[in-house]
Amino acid sequence: MSALIRLLLLLLVSTSVHAELLFEQAAPGVFVHHGAHQDLSEGYAGDICNISFIVGSKGVAVIDSGGSLKVGQQLHAAIRKATALPILYVINTHVHPDHIYGNAAFVAEKATFVGHAKLAGAMEQRKEAYARLNQQWMGDAFAGSELVKPVLEVADTATLDLGDRQLQLQAHPLAHTNTDLTIQDSLSGTLWTGDLLFVERTPSIDGDIKGWIAVIDRLKKSTATQMVPGHGPVVKDWLSALDREQGYLKRLLDDVRASIKNGGTMEKAMETAAADEKNNWQLFDIVNRRNVNMIYPGLEWE
Amino acid sequence: MVKHLLFVKIALAGMLVSLSSGAWAEADPKLWPVVKEAFFAQRPIEDNVPFIVLTAPKRAESGAQVPFSIAVDQTQADANAIKKIYIIVDANPIQLAATYHLTEQLGKFNLSTRIRLETDSFVRAIGETADGKLYMSAIAIRAAGGCGGTIDNDEAAVRASAGKIKMNIEAPASFGSPTAATFIIKHPMRTGLQRDLVSQGFLPAFYIKKADFVYNKKPVMTVDFGVGTSEDPYLKFNFIPATAGTLEVQAVDNEGKSFSHQTELKS
Repeated sequence: MSALIRLLLLLLVSTSVHAELLFEQAAPGVFVHHGAHQDLSEGYAGDICNISFIVGSKGVAVIDSGGSLKVGQQLHAAIRKATALPILYVINTHVHPDHIYGNAAFVAEKATFVGHAKLAGAMEQRKEAYARLNQQWMGDAFAGSELVKPVLEVADTATLDLGDRQLQLQAHPLAHTNTDLTIQDSLSGTLWTGDLLFVERTPSIDGDIKGWIAVIDRLKKSTATQMVPGHGPVVKDWLSALDREQGYLKRLLDDVRASIKNGGTMEKAMETAAADEKNNWQLFDIVNRRNVNMIYPGLEWE
Repeated sequence: MVKHLLFVKIALAGMLVSLSSGAWAEADPKLWPVVKEAFFAQRPIEDNVPFIVLTAPKRAESGAQVPFSIAVDQTQADANAIKKIYIIVDANPIQLAATYHLTEQLGKFNLSTRIRLETDSFVRAIGETADGKLYMSAIAIRAAGGCGGTIDNDEAAVRASAGKIKMNIEAPASFGSPTAATFIIKHPMRTGLQRDLVSQGFLPAFYIKKADFVYNKKPVMTVDFGVGTSEDPYLKFNFIPATAGTLEVQAVDNEGKSFSHQTELKS
């Protein structure tokens, strides 16, 4: 076999491997796929966050669907390998594009789409901008990724029944975003935090840093056996993970407040705020600078 | 043209898990000839002048609040003194972000502000002399498409806090030398191109139009703002206080409402 043919075969094999999402079984009937800690500048293909599905005796719920129709279809294929039960619910933990654009793959299943009461509005406001950016990032790989909004809207709490297991949904006030929703599975005690918890990857702020710190306090009182963060591995020792995240956010808040108090500038604070957290997180340089840029102007009014 | 260059109320830049992309188109140099004719039709502009120096990140972390500084290495005593500086963002739907009117009390003009960038763009400072000569410096900034603001849809709260001013002069005072003043005014700076979920239309433009600064009753600087200046307009600039005194500002929005504030510089 010539080297060229071998190379072509290898390419074919690796392509088909990439077409399948890998899932771990985090508890009986609980499947989690971990996206890569990748920046949107480096070959983003819609697969950077955690994507999960939960199988009950009556049907299946999806928690976050990935960043494109294609990733949603891969998720759908993985579910169909695990079970033939109907897909009852597709839940989005918040509005960010890496978590929602796989929804389109579940329209044909007649799944009920579920989200925070503010999710549909936030999707509408960001729709055009997201479409444009996704096109830039992914090009053809974004094809067909229609935005699908929730029809079941959670303003406070809600319960979904999958058969022999219930999902308890909790909507949160402005924190990581204005659309944060957490989900707890009654059977395994697993809690999905969405991006209210980042593990390994630098937490990024698109809502309110003070609100987020407060919501972390609330999550610390959880009864969960384990937590599935929005990004990063499933954590059994979730209290430490929440502490690490809250530690970063508090440090960032303190440093930005000190800069404002001492007559510093946002530009300088982008270099220095929370700088000693750098080695604790991935993608720190990019995300931390942007966090400062996000929160600094608002904190000038405290 | 306006249609696809939308300012979106919620900061697009802010919503993404991470930002910065190698996939962007670079700042487009082809926009300028068109923009130039719109603002300075048929007028010659001397480009790349060394005495106007611009500072900004090559890649903006958030298109909503891009830090941008201008320094002019001359004073009003110069034979070719710059009287006005126009800040133009080529790729914004409304290109003129601000116009600064200079006085001798500023010394060598040195100002930092925050501007909105809809997408990658050249940002230009064009200086104009009393006799209409034009001088320009430009800088390319990559921006993660967003001219947004905070997530605050509470109209009553937005209106109630609009126009609140904070002003501060760097201490200790050094009379006769450049002294930094910081000015921030609370305001959504609505572009008129942001979506309104309730009406399904667009929120009307609502922005600070002008701010006049005087020190001990003598003019320091007048700023004409456009919506390319970020939400909660921010200015940090040097001026030269001769003696102790009072820095006063009067600002007015596009609905004609005015706001004033003053701060003292003690000896």
